[in-house]
Amino acid sequence: MIALEPVTVTSRRRRIPMPRWGGREGMAGWIILGVLVLVALLAPVLAPHSTEAIDGSRIFGAPDWSHPFGSDDLGRDVFSRVLYAYRASLSIAIGSVLLAMAVGIPIGLIAGYAGGWTDLVLMRAVDLLLAFPALLLAISLIAILGPGGLVALLAIAIIYVPIMARVVRSSVLVVRNQPYVLGARARGASHWAIVRGHVLPNAIGPALVQASVLMAFAIIIEAALSFLGLGAQPPTPELGLMLAEGNNYLTQAPWVEIFPGLAIALSVLAFNLIGDGLRRSFDPGQLAR
Amino acid sequence: MTATEAPLLEVRGVVKTFPAGGLLHRRVVHAVDGVDLHVRRGEVLSLVGESGSGKSTLGRCIAGMSAPDSGSILFDGQDVAALDRAGRVEFRRRVQPVFQDPRASLDPRWPIARTIAEPLVANGMGAAAARDARVAELMSLVGLPRHLADRRPRELSGGQQQRVAIAAALALEPELLVADEPVSALDVSVQAQILNLLAELRERLGLALLFIAHDLGVVEYLSDRVAVMYLGRVVETGTVDDIFEQPQHPYTRALIDAIPHPDPQRRMTTARLAGEIPSPIAPPSGCHYHTRCPWAVDRCSVERPGQTPFGPTHEAACFVAAEHPFPPRTSVTLQKGTL
Repeated sequence: MIALEPVTVTSRRRRIPMPRWGGREGMAGWIILGVLVLVALLAPVLAPHSTEAIDGSRIFGAPDWSHPFGSDDLGRDVFSRVLYAYRASLSIAIGSVLLAMAVGIPIGLIAGYAGGWTDLVLMRAVDLLLAFPALLLAISLIAILGPGGLVALLAIAIIYVPIMARVVRSSVLVVRNQPYVLGARARGASHWAIVRGHVLPNAIGPALVQASVLMAFAIIIEAALSFLGLGAQPPTPELGLMLAEGNNYLTQAPWVEIFPGLAIALSVLAFNLIGDGLRRSFDPGQLAR
Repeated sequence: MTATEAPLLEVRGVVKTFPAGGLLHRRVVHAVDGVDLHVRRGEVLSLVGESGSGKSTLGRCIAGMSAPDSGSILFDGQDVAALDRAGRVEFRRRVQPVFQDPRASLDPRWPIARTIAEPLVANGMGAAAARDARVAELMSLVGLPRHLADRRPRELSGGQQQRVAIAAALALEPELLVADEPVSALDVSVQAQILNLLAELRERLGLALLFIAHDLGVVEYLSDRVAVMYLGRVVETGTVDDIFEQPQHPYTRALIDAIPHPDPQRRMTTARLAGEIPSPIAPPSGCHYHTRCPWAVDRCSVERPGQTPFGPTHEAACFVAAEHPFPPRTSVTLQKGTL
């Protein structure tokens, strides 16, 4: 018998650097989002004018130093309104996705891990929701509950629940057949311990990537709902609503339209960059520590 | 280890099928088709066969990870299927699996010390300090240096990963390890280290081992006895000497012939294994091996051969060998221990 010689790897304490924040792009996304959230929170301090102050002398006033984004049809300061509008847009985008995750992730986990009839019943229920076109579903809900920011949030969350559930389920299906899960079972670990310790941490990655992409879409859906007059109601400053209003004056005062549009684009960009970063850091080749 | 002692594990007529085919042609795959086996305490039984021979499925049944369709698995004299909840917990403690791919058998997010401690935590064994001590003990048992405790599996070599998996399997002090090709995913040089580890653990801990492999060369070094499977059936069982000196089933002879040998002249050239293993959905009639067997006679395609004894420890399921036993393999002298 050959003597057991412990194989020592020459003490390489050096860790492989991990793109913890998703590398350069992810980092850029987080920074932009951070600034936007800060702007939304500090809107009362940063805004040079009131969002509802009507200035008859500045109707369609062009951008200048005291009104960097110009003024709209009622002479209101577009810059101040954009700052406040981020509050509604970001909280609806983030809130709807968090709500969808809170409901969708457990559904996907249970369906994927339990399998069999549980999976069948849960997934057919989810398919039912998935069968409706997203906007139609939102519009019908608003028709029932009446328009408003909170209803929009709820509507978007309902659209997202099946998507989150499906994404989580599909990654759970992969993880639950991994030998480390089978082995944990054979070693006597409870289902709860396995789901919490092995399945959820290893299956959550794609769901987080999906969540960031869905947040970007949520901003657009929410803007679309407001554009259709089904989201936040005037005179609340809201990006989609401002687009809808500015649309009429595009040739006279393009800034009324352009700046809210850019504001939407910037937040969507931030979420997409974060999504790309997350995708990278969950790449199996370079698993985050 | 006397032959009269009751075996630790006994497998009786185990059948495991899986549904196959479409909705209209409902068919089943007989992955395991009536297998009898036994493993004595402290014994190493190797289960050998090509991919698709059902050896892994049988291993999963024995490790309690799937239930056989019929037949019974007796562990320490008790039918595993009839165990109550406490009995199943006890059975799980005493029989532990080791998987083929060491990387996949460790949670990529867990430091290896946590993986090794998992069975202790799951079974509520010991306070945190006692567990740490036990983990350290297990790590040294399998030859893992202490400073690796906080590493993730990705930072370890394949051999080290398999050592971690073995340590976790040993944490509950099992009596039987079911190792499904534990070295076939490793480099050849590392294979020898893991085989040595298993051999030493078996000696030190009195562990019984069901060693599943597709490579007879690996098996010869480690085993006491060998069972050769073909398409869900055991075609030959015997001690290592029986199997390697006087193989009786033509399939066994072909497998032994497939072990790479430096001198190609010194082979039982007549037994070359040709073609692919037939589909287990529609296995050949009679003896499953007759389609590839150079010695097949008419009877082979009609009747399923029963086990014929060729010695006190040796039996094979072959009509041809039953009438005219094959001569010992004097022509080939494989040195024991060569991999």
